[in-house]
Amino acid sequence: MRNYEDMVYSTAVRLIGNETQAEDIAQDVFIKAHEHFDNLRTSPTAGGWLKTVATNLSINHIQRYKKRWTFFSDIVHRDDEGGEKEVEFAAPDTFFSGVDSAERREWVERALEKLPEHQRVPLVLYHFEDMPYEEIAKKTRVSLSKVKTDILRGREALAKILTRSGATHEQFST
Amino acid sequence: MKKLNEQELEQFIHSTLRSLPARRAPRSLESRVLAALEQQAMIPWYHKSWSYWPQAVRAAFLVLATGVSGGVMAAFYLGLNTVEQSGLAAQAGERLGLFTSIYHVGAWIFNLGAQIVGSIPPLWLYGGAAFVALMYATFFGLGAAAYRSLYRSNN
Repeated sequence: MRNYEDMVYSTAVRLIGNETQAEDIAQDVFIKAHEHFDNLRTSPTAGGWLKTVATNLSINHIQRYKKRWTFFSDIVHRDDEGGEKEVEFAAPDTFFSGVDSAERREWVERALEKLPEHQRVPLVLYHFEDMPYEEIAKKTRVSLSKVKTDILRGREALAKILTRSGATHEQFST
Repeated sequence: MKKLNEQELEQFIHSTLRSLPARRAPRSLESRVLAALEQQAMIPWYHKSWSYWPQAVRAAFLVLATGVSGGVMAAFYLGLNTVEQSGLAAQAGERLGLFTSIYHVGAWIFNLGAQIVGSIPPLWLYGGAAFVALMYATFFGLGAAAYRSLYRSNN
């Protein structure tokens, strides 16, 4: 368990954006793993299995929660469709200059948490899990065009949050 | 400041995110998992779902359930052949009579309601419907506004 707990927790917390709920999901993942312990103990793909279960449980959790609030929360994002845009922010090579790596990691993690759920989830699935757009659309049960738009808007929003944080050297509260 | 196009932005975000190490799981996670597993182990098998039952119990249950199902079907078949057909029809008629009475009561209530509604001036009816719709929209809007301003702003 110790070999995989960080990976499982990271997967859940980046998708859900809430540390307490991510810990609950990680707990469920390891309880499921215990049920399949005989198969997993010698399996070379145990890590992949755990990551998949963590991803699926996190998405299920988000969707269960989302169903209750779909009207109230998502309707405000319908104006996200749009054409190609250019984002203005500090050049990548100088962006994190003068910032130590631990602080930089903290910024990025907090910036990711600040993204709205409909942008964070596809963004995480695309960039961390290497999931193609079609599979993300299938898993999150939204249209392919919305997934692409949400990922693009998520990247822009993330860049803006990072720019704001970087420009002011704002310390994220933990 | 530099302007990035979509592709440059994707590359930058990808490399930024992929450079992140795994986040450290809380120290409490391991103890929580172990406690949950211990708690699960304390629950007797007959309080758990079918997949947790011991193999022997599952096999015995299957045999028993098959036997009981077969017995019920056989008893039903034998009962149908031995019970007097006319008596059965009379009993069914009695039961259906109850449903007929319920239908008549329902129809009487419906007619009464239609007469009452018919006696109300249409202007009052439309006004009432408009009032209800307005109240519904108002409270729905208030609920949505409260959620967005109070709940979402805290997240």
